[in-house]
Amino acid sequence: MSTSTLSQLRETDLSYRATLVGGAVGVFVLIALLGLVFPESIWASLLGIVTSRSTLESALRLSVPITFAALGGIFAEKSGVINIGLEGLLIISAFTAVITTAVIGPGTVLLTIPIVDVSLTAIWIGFFAGILASVLFSAIFAVVCIRYKADQIIAGLAVWLIALGLAPFVATVYYGGVNTDNLGTSLGTWTIPYLSDLGFFGAFFDASPAVYMMLVAVPASWYVLNRTAFGRHIRASGENPKALDTVGVNVSRVRYAGVLLSGFLSGIGGAALSLGLGQFIGNNQTMVNGKGFIAIVAYLFGNYNPVGAFGASFLFAGLDAVQIRLQQVQGYTLPDSIIQTIPYIMVIVILAFVGRTYIPSAAGEHYDSGDDNR
Amino acid sequence: MSADGRGKAVLRRLASASAMERILISFAALVLATLIGAVIVLVSGRVATCQTAATTLFGVGFCYDPLDVYLVLFNGALGQPFLLDSPGLFNPDWNPLSFGLAFTLKETTLLIFTGLSVAVAFRAGLFNIGTQGQLVLGGLATALFAVFVAPLLPGGVVGGLILIPLAVLVGAVVGGLYGAIPGALKAYSDANEVITTIMLNFIAAGIAKVLVSEFFRNPDSQVIETAPIPDWGTILPIAFPKGSDFSILALGFGLALVVGVWYLLERTSLGYDLRTSGEQPEAAEYGGVDAKRTTVVSMFLSGALGGIGGAIWVLMVIGNWLTDVPSLGFDGITVSILAGNNPFGIVPAALLFGTLKSGSLAVQFQTGVPKQLVGVLRGLIILFVAMPEFFRMLGTRFTTTQGREAVATDGGEPLSGGDDE
Repeated sequence: MSTSTLSQLRETDLSYRATLVGGAVGVFVLIALLGLVFPESIWASLLGIVTSRSTLESALRLSVPITFAALGGIFAEKSGVINIGLEGLLIISAFTAVITTAVIGPGTVLLTIPIVDVSLTAIWIGFFAGILASVLFSAIFAVVCIRYKADQIIAGLAVWLIALGLAPFVATVYYGGVNTDNLGTSLGTWTIPYLSDLGFFGAFFDASPAVYMMLVAVPASWYVLNRTAFGRHIRASGENPKALDTVGVNVSRVRYAGVLLSGFLSGIGGAALSLGLGQFIGNNQTMVNGKGFIAIVAYLFGNYNPVGAFGASFLFAGLDAVQIRLQQVQGYTLPDSIIQTIPYIMVIVILAFVGRTYIPSAAGEHYDSGDDNR
Repeated sequence: MSADGRGKAVLRRLASASAMERILISFAALVLATLIGAVIVLVSGRVATCQTAATTLFGVGFCYDPLDVYLVLFNGALGQPFLLDSPGLFNPDWNPLSFGLAFTLKETTLLIFTGLSVAVAFRAGLFNIGTQGQLVLGGLATALFAVFVAPLLPGGVVGGLILIPLAVLVGAVVGGLYGAIPGALKAYSDANEVITTIMLNFIAAGIAKVLVSEFFRNPDSQVIETAPIPDWGTILPIAFPKGSDFSILALGFGLALVVGVWYLLERTSLGYDLRTSGEQPEAAEYGGVDAKRTTVVSMFLSGALGGIGGAIWVLMVIGNWLTDVPSLGFDGITVSILAGNNPFGIVPAALLFGTLKSGSLAVQFQTGVPKQLVGVLRGLIILFVAMPEFFRMLGTRFTTTQGREAVATDGGEPLSGGDDE
């Protein structure tokens, strides 16, 4: 790629970002204006919902699985492997987390650190088991794609379909139905004293542990991707694997790392999703219900920038949170399916107008260094 | 997006594999998926609780016997021709025109339509994951058309002969138009069809649910569904028992479409354009094929086939439209991939999946193994068919082939400069 196209890309990237952010702010200002001018209208209740602390709380909670899967997707795709199986990774980790906790016994305390009085409970073992299951699945996906050169899209679909079948299958074997029993416990919330009293923004300090993890993971992912040698290798492996190979870095190894990282991050998202509720729901599309696909959209929106991906995830989750609250407004009903399809329609519209999103040029292709595998 | 390059890479690879090799790979994938399925059954048999062990291996009892599960599966799908408890004995009461076989053929018929839908797009170098959405909206259009037009028609056989073809046509057109959307997005905005079709599936489900629940809901029903189509306007079973939801006419129509699609792809200039733009886009473009138009047309065709699948589901199986649409579109992907995107290959692949789906009910009923096992097998089969390299490596280890370079997708070179111009 020549430098001129690079700078062009950067310009379109900037204007694209400006459009998105500008659009979101514009919609908010519009709602605020309408709400203040017509205090009796739906706009006023909408303004009330958007600015309420509990909406922010649920938006943060709902964005956890989408954000983590999106971060994972960024690492995989930046390294050159399109991971369309994020949905499957979320499903398998969500299910494994719950069933592991259930098998150990939800109330079991395995270890207590005496001085700080922190206990390692079964639910955290379940949490890590969920992550492990997701990493295992992503490892299979990685071997299939990298070692055996499978088509990444088809293999990703397979990961999704296997998880979509396996989780309800095992649930039925163990519980006799596709849903697990409720654990009677969940990840709960960690409240930070004083800061949680901050009114609207107190929501950031009175949240599920997974929300804190997300708020750490987003900047951390950005840092790793843009400021470390490993991040450089990941990006080079997706853009120009030949150059990376030439300087003596094993492309396959970098891609394995990228895919495994996507499994790790999606695993956190999936485990947080089910353990936040204390139950796995397995009918139809399971409780994950397309969040993995929304995650793909989120990182495309965010143009492979972890912070942008978080912004998009938060936007989608926020829409959902507002929708749930809007159902409770008296005398006003909007079919929830309309709101739930908004993210998908937004994607189609944006893809139609902005056209292609920029994707790593070697993503989706096998790389053969010529000296291994044969 | 490099889906362009990717899609073409897949197709080139598929084209480079000989027909024999493709059949072998599909067969090997099946065997491997079956074996892994057996392991899953065996392991889950340790988790399940049962009174007596179904099988004992190495001194450990298991609740499920995988061999038994597969036997029950095929026996159930064929309508119990064998008495499994007394080996070697045929069931004297076996009636091929029973519910078991009807269920298998019903699923097969529906999967032929969705399999063809995915295959047509694939041959044009497009990965249509959106057959499900096209089927949902096509089926809804069929149901609404039939419900609203039926009162204007005389009823009886004459009414059916007018209504059913028109209703199928409406389903095809709506499915086709919905399929043309990602086609147009691909052609004119360069939006990756994998992403857009997945999104359009969710949108279709949402639109259909809102339309039915807000405007066309059957007021007498507890669930979200349309009013029923009168019996004379549906495709009724012939020979098979009433209520079996399977008509030989629909299967015949499906088989006719298989021949039709084959003829279209192999014997018409449109089919030639479609295949060349799938296999050799540069050559097609050079030869004067209008690539953008071909993309939209092939996605329209693909969507229309999905829409017909929805129409047949409505007219033959359900008799109206309800939100609980089975995942026939996703199964169509499996069928098409297993068939190597060959129209004639669709028939055995659809029959296989029809058998699996139908037999899974008998499996759940007789052995207690959950019917979701088929979902797992479906994913495993796709996974293994997607990795022909694995079987080639196995093959070259055991035989001495001519050492042909199996995959010539890249070698580090971007396949098409389309991504970063």
